[in-house]
Amino acid sequence: MLAKLIYKDILVLIRDRGGLAMLFVMPLALVLIMTSLQDTTFRALNEYGIKLLLLNLDNDTLGRAIEREIERSAIFAVHQPENRNDFTDQQVKEAVATGKYQIGLIIPPDATQRIRNRARGNLMKVLSGKKIPDGISDSVIFKVYMDPATRPTLRSTVEVSVRELASRIETQIVLSELAGEISNRFMIPLKDPVLFRQQTIFYREEFAVIGNKKVIPNSVQHNVSAWTLFAMFFIGIPFASAMIREREEGSLARLLTMPCSYTSMLFSKVLVYLVVCYLQFMLIMVMGIVLFPLLNLPALIIDGRLTELSLMAVSVSLAAIGYGITIGTIARTHQQASIFASISVVILAAIGGIWVPVFMMPPIFRHISKVSPLNWGLNGFYDILIRGSDISVVLPYMMYLLIFAAFCLLLALYYHQLKKENI
Amino acid sequence: MTSANTVISIEGLIKIYKGSHKPALNNVNLEVSNGHIFGLLGPNGAGKTTMIRILCGLLSPSSGEVFINGFSVRNQMHEIRRIIGVVPQEIALYPSLTAYENLSVYGGICGLKGRTLKQRIDELLPVFGLEKGLYGKVIHFSGGMKRRLNLMVGLLHNPRILFLDEPTVGVDVQSKNFILENLVATNRAGTTMIYTSHYLEEAENLCTDIAIIDEGQIIIKGSLDEIKHSVELSGSLEEIFIALTGKALRD
Repeated sequence: MLAKLIYKDILVLIRDRGGLAMLFVMPLALVLIMTSLQDTTFRALNEYGIKLLLLNLDNDTLGRAIEREIERSAIFAVHQPENRNDFTDQQVKEAVATGKYQIGLIIPPDATQRIRNRARGNLMKVLSGKKIPDGISDSVIFKVYMDPATRPTLRSTVEVSVRELASRIETQIVLSELAGEISNRFMIPLKDPVLFRQQTIFYREEFAVIGNKKVIPNSVQHNVSAWTLFAMFFIGIPFASAMIREREEGSLARLLTMPCSYTSMLFSKVLVYLVVCYLQFMLIMVMGIVLFPLLNLPALIIDGRLTELSLMAVSVSLAAIGYGITIGTIARTHQQASIFASISVVILAAIGGIWVPVFMMPPIFRHISKVSPLNWGLNGFYDILIRGSDISVVLPYMMYLLIFAAFCLLLALYYHQLKKENI
Repeated sequence: MTSANTVISIEGLIKIYKGSHKPALNNVNLEVSNGHIFGLLGPNGAGKTTMIRILCGLLSPSSGEVFINGFSVRNQMHEIRRIIGVVPQEIALYPSLTAYENLSVYGGICGLKGRTLKQRIDELLPVFGLEKGLYGKVIHFSGGMKRRLNLMVGLLHNPRILFLDEPTVGVDVQSKNFILENLVATNRAGTTMIYTSHYLEEAENLCTDIAIIDEGQIIIKGSLDEIKHSVELSGSLEEIFIALTGKALRD
């Protein structure tokens, strides 16, 4: 009997060729497009650079140093107007406002000289107690124009970079002035003034891992994990639709008058859709490994963790199908099922951290995210594909997903019984 | 007192739907004898479908007892499902599957396998005039072909009791006569039938026993002659039906 139910579900599925194609093509397209887009954003920061219009009106140390440092930075693609002395503040503002540049930076005239004067004044005050002459304690103001469409994270990156550069150069000027003053006062010739220009604090970044795990943090590993999961959960919609169609056509009622339980009908569908979901997953993996490099994207690296990935994929598939069963049992119409399923999957994805990392969410959402099956799935895939964790680490996430699937199935059976009792 | 010849016994059956104060079935008592064609007739909303759904195990009774071939619908549905066949009013077939695939799926679920299944399909195909459409998808069938296949699925596993809910609705005269002739032949072969329809002339010609139900209660039952004698009317079943249920429109 179960074999006949499976045979029927396979036939119904493969006869709907358009629907079947959608089941495979749409997830592949989603993962490909989202990964490409995210990779482009990633490269925009690291390879292509943020378009920055620099108007350097300070023809001295500070202006030249900032110009040099910004051009050396991988973050910015720097453009400077040819006739900088004729170029106005307003023109910089307009160039950014029209979206031609994301950032406009104006280094004011005599910025170096003003910092130098200020440093000298401060030294004079410290060493001889003399009052700082009027006019030399003014601050140097860098004007930065930002495209309103620029993301806040990018804005803070620019702000930090400019501040850091200006502060470093200001320190160098102050130290040079101090050294000159010491040299003059104590008649000690400076042997190696370069010392003051040497950087003493360095920054070394390292991924935190336990043991010898191989960590692969790139946009592909991140995005394939997130969007594969998102696409897999969408199988709940065709699953729920298949259930509702069977009910509306009267076939479900007929089956229920035959020696065939509702549980076995669900079991058959779960098996068939589980295979579909797993094939979807494998196709996405193959696409990541084979097709991505051909499209100038980093290749997806599985690093011999196919067993862990497969077990995780099966757990996610069962959770997604379980969700589809509940919707298919409770929803009265196709419209109800498709609208509710698609919107609820998007909500679960949002609170699960597919778009915004959980640690960046408001505190209340950080707690809510813990009950999203997409968050369990995402953590599991991240652990395998990015942190290189083994099965013991992802086992709790698999258990949560399987418990969720079982809960959905029991809820559907309970609701079916309620409908039969009509209470 | 239930006789030995009774295959369906309904005792004090009540069904009250959620949110409704009026029972859909109100203390229904009924017996259906083995080998009979029992017509369950009534206006819209009278309770026919509710009763058929309870008899088929698709709905639970609020109270009362229903026995089919001695098995209770409350806790012996598994045994009941093995001996009943259902021909629903809607075309309960998979439209993207061929006629053969539909028959194979439903027959297989009812326990028919391999050669037995094939023999049974071969036996029924000419009876229902579906030889040519066997490997065609149901979605391309005419209304009459779908109706005949719908009936054939219900009869495939040779059920002892067959429930027919408006089996001839929406088909042409040729298909209707074809279906009715086959139902009579099937009944003669020993299948008890519970039949509901709004076509009273059809019921008059087909059924051996009739019950008219209205507002959840059986208002009269017996053979057509017994009913005519009881209401002291000698007209057609339709005249008796109107006399008993009134002319007011029903929802």
